[in-house]
Order: sequence, then C-alpha cells, then structure tokens
Amino acid sequence: MFVSFLSTICASLLVVCVTVMCTFAVTLIFKTSTTTNFAEGSLAALGCYVTATCLNKYNIPVYIGVFPGIAVGVVLGLLIDVAIFRRGRNVNAVGKQIITMGIVSIIFGAIPLIFGTPESIPFEPFYNTKKAGTSANFLIPFMGGKIVLTKHGLICVIITVIVIGVLFLLLKHSKWGLGVRCAASNEYTAELMGINTHVITAMSWAIAAGLGVLGAVMYAGGGVMISTSFMVTPMVNAFLAGILGGFSTFYGPVIGAIIIPIAANAVGFLANFPGMSSISRWNMVIVYAAMLVVILIKPSGLFGKKIVKKV
Amino acid sequence: MENNTASPKNILKNPPVQIILFGIVLCLIQVLSMNGVISSSFAFALGNTLIYAVMAIGFCLLLGYSGLASLGTAGFIGIGTYAVYYIMQENGYPLFLAFLVTLGISLGLGVVVGFISLRIEGIYLAILTLGLSEIIRNVLMAIKPTIKLELANSRLFGIQMNDRVAYFLIVIIYCLLMWVTSNLINSPTGRAMVAMKNSTSAAQAMGISLMKFRLMAFVIATVYAALGGLLYMVYVRNLTTSSSLLLTLTTSLNILGAVIIGGSKSLWGTFVGTFIIYGIQSMFLSRIPFFVKNPAFITMVTGVLIVVVVMFFPGGIAQIASNISASFKKRKLAGAAAAAEEKKGEE
Repeated sequence: MFVSFLSTICASLLVVCVTVMCTFAVTLIFKTSTTTNFAEGSLAALGCYVTATCLNKYNIPVYIGVFPGIAVGVVLGLLIDVAIFRRGRNVNAVGKQIITMGIVSIIFGAIPLIFGTPESIPFEPFYNTKKAGTSANFLIPFMGGKIVLTKHGLICVIITVIVIGVLFLLLKHSKWGLGVRCAASNEYTAELMGINTHVITAMSWAIAAGLGVLGAVMYAGGGVMISTSFMVTPMVNAFLAGILGGFSTFYGPVIGAIIIPIAANAVGFLANFPGMSSISRWNMVIVYAAMLVVILIKPSGLFGKKIVKKV
Repeated sequence: MENNTASPKNILKNPPVQIILFGIVLCLIQVLSMNGVISSSFAFALGNTLIYAVMAIGFCLLLGYSGLASLGTAGFIGIGTYAVYYIMQENGYPLFLAFLVTLGISLGLGVVVGFISLRIEGIYLAILTLGLSEIIRNVLMAIKPTIKLELANSRLFGIQMNDRVAYFLIVIIYCLLMWVTSNLINSPTGRAMVAMKNSTSAAQAMGISLMKFRLMAFVIATVYAALGGLLYMVYVRNLTTSSSLLLTLTTSLNILGAVIIGGSKSLWGTFVGTFIIYGIQSMFLSRIPFFVKNPAFITMVTGVLIVVVVMFFPGGIAQIASNISASFKKRKLAGAAAAAEEKKGEE
C-alpha cells in the first residue's frame, strides 16, 4: 500500500515542476510590477505552440525545439513590459490586472491566427520512447514493490531544480537579484538609490515568460493536449500557491506550488480505500477547501511575514 | 439642486426616469425583432449582454464603491444556474421558487465571502475568491457535468417562458436592479461604502462598521451574480460546465474588465463596458464578413481595446463622457461670460 502511495506521489512530480515554474514566474512579476500576471499562462501556451511547430514541421528534437519557444516567450515578455507596463506605471493594481487580462485576449486571438486550429498537436516528451525497446518509466524496487517514475518526469525534476536553483542563487547574490529585491520592497526608493528599475522589471518579465514556456513544454510533454487555454489550470494553481506560501518571500510560493499538486494526488489516493471510490472527483475541492482554511487562519500565507499597516 | 425640477429637461436627469426609458428602448428592440425589422439573433445577443450587465452592476458596487476586488463572480453565477436546474428541471417547481432559493443560497455565500474579506484584502482577496470560485466549479462539475433546462419545465406565474418572454424578464430585472442600486449608492449605505474604500481606518473612526458594509457589499454582488446565472439558465437553457467558459476565471475577468472599462464608479458605465466586451462581439462584429471568417480577430480587438482603455483612460468610458460634457459646459459658460462682457462694454 505504501509503495503504491509513493507511486501516486511520484506521478504528481511533473505537475509539481510545471506549477513551480509558473509560480516562480508569477511571484517575480508580482514582486516587480505589483500585479497578478494573468497572461502568464497564455504566454506560455504561445511559446509551446512555437516549440510544437518546430517539432512537427522541421523535425527538431524537443530539447532543441524548446529554445525557439523560450526565445519567443522572452521577446514577448520584454515587449509587454516595454510597450505596456512601462507606460502604464500610474495605473493602479486592479487596472494592471485588467491589462494582463487584455493581453490574454490578444494572445488567445493571435494563436489561432498564427498557428491555425488543428484538431490536435502531437508533442513529444523529453525522453523519447519512439526508439525500440525503451520504456518510458523507471521501476524502482522498494520495500517489495515497485515505484513507477516516468523518465520525462525525472528529467523535468532535474531541469526544474537546476533552473529554480540558479534563479534563487541569482536573486541572492547577483546585482539583478539585489535590484529585484529592492524594487520589490519599494520601487521609488530603489530608483532613488540609483537602481535602473526599468531594466529590472523588463528582465523579470523576460525570465517569467521564459519560465512559463519551459513549464508549458514540460506539461505538454507529459501528454496534456495543447490548446490556447491548456495552461490555465497550472496558472490558477500558481496564484493559489503564491497565496498559500505567502507572496512576501520567494521561497514561500515555491513551497506552496510543491504542496498543492502533491496534496491533490494524495487525496486522490484515498480512492483506493473501500467506500471512498468517488473521492477522485472531489480531490481538488478538498485541497482548495483545506487551503482556504489555512489562509483564513494565517492570512499572510504559511511563510509570509505579517505586514503592519500604518494610517 | 436647481429650482425648476419639473421642467422636462430635468425630468430626464432623474435616474428612475432614465432607467425606465432605457428599459422601454430595450423592450422596443425585442418588439422590432418580433416584427422582423431587426434580426432575432441581434436581439438574442442583446439579451445575453444584459445578463452580464446584471452581474456587472453587483460587481461595480463591490469594486467601484466598496473597493473590494473579487474574482469569484463565476462561482456565484454557477450557484444560480444549478439552483434553477435543480428546482425547475429535476423537481418541476416554478421559476419563482428558484428565485427565492437562489436568493437564499447566494445570501449565505455572500456572508461567508464577506467574513473572508474581513481577514484578507487587496489582490490576496481576489486570488482567494478565485480559489473559492474554483471550489464551486469543481463541486458543480462533480455533481453534474452538463445541465439542460427543458422549455416545458420553464414557467413563471403560469406563463410559458421562451427566448422572448425571458428577454422581457431580463430587461425588467435589469431595470429593477439598476434602480435599486442607484438608490443605494446615493444613500448613507453607499456613502459608507465609499468611505470604507478610501480608508478603512478613517471609516472606522467615523463609526462605520467594516463588518456590516463589507458583508453587505459581498451579499449584493453575490446575489446579483447568482441572479445573472439564473437568468442565463432561463435564457440559454443549457450549460456544459466542463467545457463552457461561463464558470471559469474568464467570466470573472470579463466582468471585472467590463466594470473597469465602463468606469468602476458609474452604473451606466457598467452597461457600456459589458456592451464593449460581450455586445460588440456578438451583435456587430459577428456580422462583418471579415470577422466571421476570422473570429480570432474579434478576441484580439477586444483585448487591444481593454489595454488601451485601461492605459489611457483610467476612469473608464464614463470619465471620457463626463470630460466631454464638462468641456462643453465650460465652453458654454465661457461663451456666456464673453457675451456678458461684450454687453458691459457696449453699455
């Protein structure tokens, strides 16, 4: 029983990676542009379409094809910041949210115009199983049973750990990271201190968009159908993870992003017990409800710092 | 403010009169479409837009007047749609009962969200209500993925509902809610809400109970959204929760967008905003052959419009309108002053 539970947890690893990517991106934008970037998911989907085109039209393997996708995402992210957010600085927080929603509309319209509306888009995981005789899964013997782990999922975990690790190091030790932390705490003071906040926010948008595309490529590789809105669920989970972990730190949201998919799968695992078979329909409800309770008890999030308000 | 309130020009400035006139115009469109002057799909699209406008009024009160950002509208709509389905289709009770039950459930839900809003504020509240909305959507989807209301089961006070009757019902409810809300805004309640929006601490210092008015704002917004869901079900009559966008974040964002574009502190602005987001698309652009061939362009145009309005006209379209009328008044006053000066000079 315990082994199959571990297998269930391992099955959520891919979704964990995707959610972590999205959450980090959302947190970065939240910190530097003080808005929730609803366009993260659609930007990621657009990049994923580019990668899919490279794969299917030019027969490029996915680990090379992912780069044009990320490049498109990065360029679009920069464009959004330079063309829209830099000019709309005096727009309030809700106004900025609406702007990102407008961008979602634009991208949703642009994707069918650029890529057409095919029935389904074939995509391949990082570990290609087309070669004869290879299995898509690792079977790890453990306590007399076997834990199933997809190779694609494992590669995604490695990529995520490296990318997010490097980003955390950059945040902590690089000049850009210092700038981001300054801009996050107070944009105007940061400017007064001689930090070029334009460059900081532009870079944040670029990195966020790139992370989103990478996440989308991982997600699509795991067998999810690519569509204009296929990244909406990870994005919604990313926002909720941000709230759960608390947006005041960078690591809080990432931990939130790890908790949510694992909790969902763990609740789904209860379906194996007698009399609980219908629980798989309710697993997201249970997880969200539990999260709601946690946030109500601790409004600033699990790892958040309490913000003292002044009159 | 002026003395001669009875003059015909001032009667038109009276909100109830404006609302009734607007309602009559809306009804006329439907009558014209019955006679074949206007195509019936145009009238149907207008009815659909009005349903979203009903939801937007409630949201306008919540965001524009109370300053509470919520992304839970879609979930509240879902409550309305499923209440109608279960009461009318499954149990065969009349629409009136569905109204009452929807009101009851949404009241309860509004109170719950109101209490949440006492603890969490700003963008955090928006994301949390988004989570709540996702919970509702998942629950509804787990209960029944597709709901369909049969025409035979849909009646109100013995009147058989169909598209046209439902349209008139929508117009009546829309006008009623507009009237109630415009009164509410100009009452002490409305002023308390604005005070609360500007500064919670100052409002509390003036003796305004945050709990009372936040709960009230959320209850009103929830009830309006649920009523919108109820009207949607009566009008459109089927909903596939798993594939439809109605109960997803998209709808919540569209309503938010409509209120912002129209001007978050203007009731008429909500209609204009809803019209831009939902109406233009279904009523006009879908008639132009170019857009029929490339429906994706419509989505793009809406997106560009949203970005442009928010970036350059933060007060929304209502502000543009008031700016224009103010500049006219200024010109008129300047003209009058110049004329008076001339007269003086002649003397």
